[in-house]
Amino acid sequence: MEKESKNYTTISIPTPLAKKIKERIKGTGFTSLSSYVTYVLREIISSDKEENEEAFTKEDEEKVKDRLRALGYLE
Amino acid sequence: MIPMKLDENVNYIVSGQERSGTSMLMQILHGGSIPTAFDDLRPADDHNIKGYYELEGGKIINKLINNEFPISKYKGYFIKITAYGLKFLPPGEYKIIYSERNIEETLDSIEKMIRKKDLNREETKSNIIKLNNLIKNEIKVRTDIHVLFVNYNNILERPKDNIKKILNFLNLPEDNLQKMIDTVDLKIYHNTRTNA
Repeated sequence: MEKESKNYTTISIPTPLAKKIKERIKGTGFTSLSSYVTYVLREIISSDKEENEEAFTKEDEEKVKDRLRALGYLE
Repeated sequence: MIPMKLDENVNYIVSGQERSGTSMLMQILHGGSIPTAFDDLRPADDHNIKGYYELEGGKIINKLINNEFPISKYKGYFIKITAYGLKFLPPGEYKIIYSERNIEETLDSIEKMIRKKDLNREETKSNIIKLNNLIKNEIKVRTDIHVLFVNYNNILERPKDNIKKILNFLNLPEDNLQKMIDTVDLKIYHNTRTNA
């Protein structure tokens, strides 16, 4: 179940999990359940991104450019 | 046909790997009177019978790399920028429709277009997959980009469902839905693999 506004989406998570997270963030810099969950999700997404960037080498990029030139998309 | 209007504060982009249905998407949007910007520097040919729907003959990636492409001029219009070009999008507000296609068909289509058998086909395949993953991840984490992923093969199978999804993504009514569906000419897009 998701609710969307222009800048935020509300996502439902199981209540027992929410309680555990609330316990976990006590005494940390996180001011709310949402800010903690946002932080964790951003970490996961950015680590995925870093892994993919590592896998995409300069050599790969040159191959992409060669293909784009052959297809007329790059000078 | 009712002319559609897009948000003039937003840049709209059709993207995806080359030969993965980006021209067909532009054609669908254009067919629905949704604002699109393109020129005729690269005319229609055997590989894209209905045209490429590109700006600057498709060569805007160089300008994006050099920060010379006047992207703000195209706010409120759809333009086509293939996947690699998305790496160089300046900060802004974007809505992107990103097309993917059965990779073997993409490779077949590339070979046909360059009129040469790719002797390193597996290597090219891996390179396209890597680039696709990289770009998809980059656009997913950018907060100034909203993206709708579509699949070329699925559009051919279920044009109505997919075009409705596109209109919903753009917050547009369905007045021109049938016109948009009519642009999907299955006779042209016959070069598909059954295991797509």
